[in-house]
Amino acid sequence: MKLPLSWLKDYVEWNVTPAEFVERMMWRGFETADILEEMPGVSGVVVGRINALEKHPNADKLQICSIDVGGEAPLCIVTGATNVFEGALVPVAMDGAKLVGGITIKPTNMRGVESAGMLCSGKELGLTEADYPGAEFNGIMILHEEHPLGQRIQDAVGMNDIIFDIELTPNRADCQSIIGICREAAAALGQKFREPVIRPVAGEGDASDYASVSVKNAELCPRYSARVVTDLVIEPSPKWMQRRLRAVGMRPINNIVDITNYVLVEYGHPMHAFDLACVAEGHIIVRNARENETVVTLDGKERAVTPEMLLIADPEKGVGIAGVMGGENSEITAATKATLFEAAAFKGSNIRATTRKLRHVTDAAARFIKGVEPVNAYLALARAIELVDDLHAGKVIGEAIDVCAADISPRVIDVDYAHVNKILNTDITPEDMVKMLATINIPSEVCGDKLRVDVPHYRTDIESGIEADWDIAEEVGRIYGYDNIPPTLMRGNTFRGRIGDDLKDEDAIKDLLVAQGCCEMYNYNFTGPAALDALRIPEGDEKRLAVKLLNPFGEDQSLMRTTLLAGALDSLARNFSRKTGQTRFFEVGNVHFDNNADLPEERKLLGVAFSGAGEDFFTLKGSLEALLASFNMHERCTFVPGGEECFQPGQKALMLADGEPIGELGAIHPKVQKAWGIPEKVYYAEINVEKLRAHKGGKRTYEPLPRFPKVPRDIAVVVDETVSAAAVKEAIEQAPAAVAIGDVELFDVYRGAGIPAGKKSMAYSFALSASDHTLNDDEIQQAMKCVIEALAARLGAQLRA
Amino acid sequence: MNDALQKIRQETLDRLKEVREEKELEALNVSVLGRNGALTEILRTMGKLDKEQRAKLGQASNAVKKELEEAIGARREKIAELMLERRFEKEALDVTEPGKRKLPAGHLHPMTKTYREIRDALIGMGFTTFGGPEVEYDDYNFTKLNLPLDHPARDMQDTFYINDRVVLRTHTSPCEARALMNLKPPFRLVMPGRVFRVDEVDASHSPVFMQMEGFVVDHDITLADLKGTLDTFVHAVFGEDVRTRFRPSYFPFTEPSAEVDISCSICGGKGCRVCKGTGWIEILGCGVTNPHELENCGLDPREWKAIAFGIGVDRVTSLKYGITDIRLEYENDARFLRQF
Repeated sequence: MKLPLSWLKDYVEWNVTPAEFVERMMWRGFETADILEEMPGVSGVVVGRINALEKHPNADKLQICSIDVGGEAPLCIVTGATNVFEGALVPVAMDGAKLVGGITIKPTNMRGVESAGMLCSGKELGLTEADYPGAEFNGIMILHEEHPLGQRIQDAVGMNDIIFDIELTPNRADCQSIIGICREAAAALGQKFREPVIRPVAGEGDASDYASVSVKNAELCPRYSARVVTDLVIEPSPKWMQRRLRAVGMRPINNIVDITNYVLVEYGHPMHAFDLACVAEGHIIVRNARENETVVTLDGKERAVTPEMLLIADPEKGVGIAGVMGGENSEITAATKATLFEAAAFKGSNIRATTRKLRHVTDAAARFIKGVEPVNAYLALARAIELVDDLHAGKVIGEAIDVCAADISPRVIDVDYAHVNKILNTDITPEDMVKMLATINIPSEVCGDKLRVDVPHYRTDIESGIEADWDIAEEVGRIYGYDNIPPTLMRGNTFRGRIGDDLKDEDAIKDLLVAQGCCEMYNYNFTGPAALDALRIPEGDEKRLAVKLLNPFGEDQSLMRTTLLAGALDSLARNFSRKTGQTRFFEVGNVHFDNNADLPEERKLLGVAFSGAGEDFFTLKGSLEALLASFNMHERCTFVPGGEECFQPGQKALMLADGEPIGELGAIHPKVQKAWGIPEKVYYAEINVEKLRAHKGGKRTYEPLPRFPKVPRDIAVVVDETVSAAAVKEAIEQAPAAVAIGDVELFDVYRGAGIPAGKKSMAYSFALSASDHTLNDDEIQQAMKCVIEALAARLGAQLRA
Repeated sequence: MNDALQKIRQETLDRLKEVREEKELEALNVSVLGRNGALTEILRTMGKLDKEQRAKLGQASNAVKKELEEAIGARREKIAELMLERRFEKEALDVTEPGKRKLPAGHLHPMTKTYREIRDALIGMGFTTFGGPEVEYDDYNFTKLNLPLDHPARDMQDTFYINDRVVLRTHTSPCEARALMNLKPPFRLVMPGRVFRVDEVDASHSPVFMQMEGFVVDHDITLADLKGTLDTFVHAVFGEDVRTRFRPSYFPFTEPSAEVDISCSICGGKGCRVCKGTGWIEILGCGVTNPHELENCGLDPREWKAIAFGIGVDRVTSLKYGITDIRLEYENDARFLRQF
């Protein structure tokens, strides 16, 4: 919302600096995004008089001016312009001055003569003919009135307004108008708001001789007010009106269109003017569009309209899309003789739906969407007619045609003021509340334990229902000042705050992986079909059940991820290309599956990616084992060959906990790696966090320390290549020895000289023990024999010579 | 005899001063006090003396023996001390050499650090964690929160749609609705999670970001409590020196609503580029929960009151660490991550 200071002064006594105004409005809930100037980007330009002119000694086309800018000594400025003359008043850009387009003026040497600044054209100051006659002349702008020398050019040409660009919250549709925002400004400045009074214009003749209105859908159009003006004199609007329109960013067109725009800004109510001659029978019908109907709008586009949309029509055709844009067929032109001004209230939600469907939002539509109210429609129409009369733009006919189904009777609400104090934790007397509300023009009185509030018609945000107490609490609160409410600590119940087990475990997972040297990633949740293809996810796989966005940024971000892998590969690729040297990454994040009629299934995953020098399948597995150990579930977890297509065959495994798959790991398939352009092999694991948590070890209990020493032993056996490390380990552990066998660890695998082809040597360490005595040599030898026999029997293993 | 004794004493003491090695010392010890040592020799000759002389000499030689033993003992300690010193010299390290690590250090994402800090500050104030899904019903994300269909404020948060009933949640506030419908009040909840908005990526916008919702439901909770809670929270996360200010604002799900600014931690409130010269930085939106929301979720707003606040974790992270480009937080460049 752009609020020119000069316009504000129509309604409010100005008694502060702009900065103070901004601060006070902020405390009222109105943030100022910017303070703009009427001549944006121009500074350091003043009025100067050319005292003397002489030819440049070294250049035919240049002249040297001696210029008085009210300073001690005249300035010497070189100009190439030919329209300057002695005695002329001109805009002088001094050292350091700024002109439109970001140009900064510095003294320069021009062909041997020092020039202290620059004389400006109107264009260089951003001025148009409408701002200042002569501004668009191709040369230096000559000021045609007397001005003090050294005066700011802004003041000299009367373009010295400042404009507050105020951000409005969506609840305050009423402040989307100069009058509305000035009401708040007055209160913020502690001033009385000068309520505008519209002078009624009595029209000649009878309006019904010229026009009539019928509203077929009162729900979508609760009020339609219109007035006829004939004998139009279409001409440019007066300078003051054009200046104000430009100040708020609107382009002046002609007096009639400008009046509707002016009223839009001033009253916040969109209006429209039809060429009455183009409305068949002068009869306006507000109705829903018909099947296959089209309307050519003011912008020359033919738009298909549908039956949910509201049209402004005559008995033959549509002449506008209600609340969005008028029709080209009834546009005001230089030839228009009579017009019908429209000020209507349309239902915001319907206009919103229409703009969505048409994919076109206009200024007017935006206002309707934010909400307009029927009383203001009538005021806006009256104001427009007053301006028509003021500007002698035409002959006003009869009275307004007003079709109103809306309830516009005054609204009174009863508010529990004790409850207001309870919400705010204040102790404000109801009498003080009355005074506070009066500052924003809300009349109220104390009635017993209630505050009876007359809600102004424009305060549609203040409800009559349950919310009323809160609405008034908000008004009282912001007038009283949030800053004046002392902070308190919550009383009442005491609470034991705690972190949920899910988040505690998530912390533990992250901390463990950080301890394993991993950097934590945050990747976006979006992916695309091409990425799923590149990951070699087969058709019909669960990971193809990605949730689709209706309005994505693009195809490659049109799906919610079903795996963390794509994001991990993106990040790895980025780190490789930037040579960060980091080899370990992880992410904990959600994925979604479109496998449910209701909400998609949300699954929390852990993705771990290793790639680069020193990393292999087993470094990754080692870190995962550390994670399993920290969750006290390592002993119950096994790794078996298997896994998805994104992995390289033979280097992938399923991770099982108590026999249930909880994740996968492996070397990423070379084709996938290539698709991401990653130079090194990638090792990746993905684990379902909830499943991991489900198999977490329970409470740890103390085991007595062994009283008798363990006897460490090593053994190396030769087995077939097909025998797995896990099988050897199991055979050792389960050997039927009389003593306990534990701590079984593989410490070496050897293939080569001395070992037959197709075989490998595996070396294990383990410990023998008994709980009640120290083992003697005999027992040890018996146990070793038993282990060797078990290995031989189960796996065909031979003791390595 | 006595002269000989005194000579041995003097000679031994003199030699002792010269002894630098343990071996040398032990040799001296043996040569004087050993079985065939000089002093022992003297004692052996004592038998030839008369009783009186013998007693006298015996006394004297015992005194010398004791004195020499002590002197040798002291010297032995001294030599041990010297040896240790010599060893220390040899073993001295260049302590400026880098330390050895088995694994390079890993790093939590800065957002995780900020999230934990905020969470833990609230846990300390009696809040408990709670959550909801990222893909959420429109009903929970909007309608129940007093944003009925076609409410103009729906446009405040450009929404990713899955279908006409399901959206990517645009804030963590739908967790409020879930809490109200599933938990028995009173409660104090902190609800972290990712949220989504149709915002093109740039230095200050990201279509995915992280929020934390604070939500308290109790019988007598007020706007003043909200101010007190957020003051405490801000001080815990940003430090005791940071000042807060509550500006009136508007959110459909709260009334009265406020935005909270903190004094700029970069310039201390004097005004800089980060705070755009104002000295203040907006960090969160909050308010007293709108009665419609409570009613929509089955609570009587005259019996129960609630306060709510939504913190942007990305924003707080940027402020805490002076990060000027939010894109860095989703690029996972290790050179960035290693700084935290």
